[in-house]
Amino acid sequence: MRYRMVAIPAIGAVLVLAGYLVFGNLNQNLVYFLTPTEAVAQKSSEQAGERFRLGGQVEEGSVVRTGAETRFTLTDNKAAVPVRFEGVPPQLFAAGIGAVVEGAWRGDSFYADTMFVKHEEEYQPPGETSGANDKAAP
Amino acid sequence: MKPRFDLLPPLAMAVAAVGVALAFIAPPDRVQGNLQKLMYVHVPAAWIAYLAFVLTLIGSIGWLWRREPRWDRLAAAAAEVGVFFTGLAIALGAIWGKPVWGVWWTWDARLVTTALLFFVYLGYLALRRVTEDRSDRARRSAVFGVVAFIQVPVVHFSVIWWRTLHQPPTVLRPGDPTIDHTMLAVLLVNLVGFTLLGAWMLRQRFRLLAQLEDLEDALAARDLELAGHSIETPKLEGRRSDV
Repeated sequence: MRYRMVAIPAIGAVLVLAGYLVFGNLNQNLVYFLTPTEAVAQKSSEQAGERFRLGGQVEEGSVVRTGAETRFTLTDNKAAVPVRFEGVPPQLFAAGIGAVVEGAWRGDSFYADTMFVKHEEEYQPPGETSGANDKAAP
Repeated sequence: MKPRFDLLPPLAMAVAAVGVALAFIAPPDRVQGNLQKLMYVHVPAAWIAYLAFVLTLIGSIGWLWRREPRWDRLAAAAAEVGVFFTGLAIALGAIWGKPVWGVWWTWDARLVTTALLFFVYLGYLALRRVTEDRSDRARRSAVFGVVAFIQVPVVHFSVIWWRTLHQPPTVLRPGDPTIDHTMLAVLLVNLVGFTLLGAWMLRQRFRLLAQLEDLEDALAARDLELAGHSIETPKLEGRRSDV
């Protein structure tokens, strides 16, 4: 039957492609942001000025706002990267929250022009604490 | 048939209204404030979309197994409902994302797989219009309905398998939901409301599909009848009968 001769290989090809997307090396390209540890590790091997996204927790007490620039440190509790962000941060941006910035290394600082706030999957009314909130970004 | 009082529409609207009212009363989130209340509509929309695609899967398998038209109608009606709620979840997610993340849209794995889910099921609905032959249509769309379902778990687990901007699941995860239990209760009321709205939509579409098939059959029968007459009584006396 001609229909089956076309359909079965087609479905097989779709399954192989789906499996490859999920388990194959393409995962590397699906990484939405690098952690500070990864960013520091690949700093030397990278061409200068290559843009990527960097994500982590905004370190407590590190946020300094000077005019159009906001300086802070992104950390994953193993490595910390000083960030200089030019622009208006999203309204939820504050020390302690997760953030993803887009930019490039320049010297020892990460110069960013785009910022996203990454909030956690936990919801609590104000004033209540839960121990699970203290974990770091992945 | 005497029309009976139909409980589903008023019940669905009442529960949905209570859900929205409770969302206004619910406590604001510690980090996001009142913005977090978008969760009460965004999350149920996404869950009902998943549920609708489960029904499309069941309908597709049911048709392949039983070859009864009602399974095909279930698959088609559920796919329409699923596409609607997927679109709603994407739109509400964008409205939530703009103030919280800072962007309406970003190319992270959850958003991309959800958009793919939306377009593939739009493709399913398009495939249903490719042929008028009912059993061809049912067979093709049943196979499509089974294969396309692979995406539903991919969308759900995308936030776990890949590093995304979207946060991981709050409720549909192993262990205690990481949400205050008052908020969770409000979320569940909204989930019931959305389920009832979805069930109402599904039922309307299911009935309409059955009526459309009846109409097609009636029109086909009428055309056959006309064709039969024209063969039996050809006009031999000239085209005009008024002279």
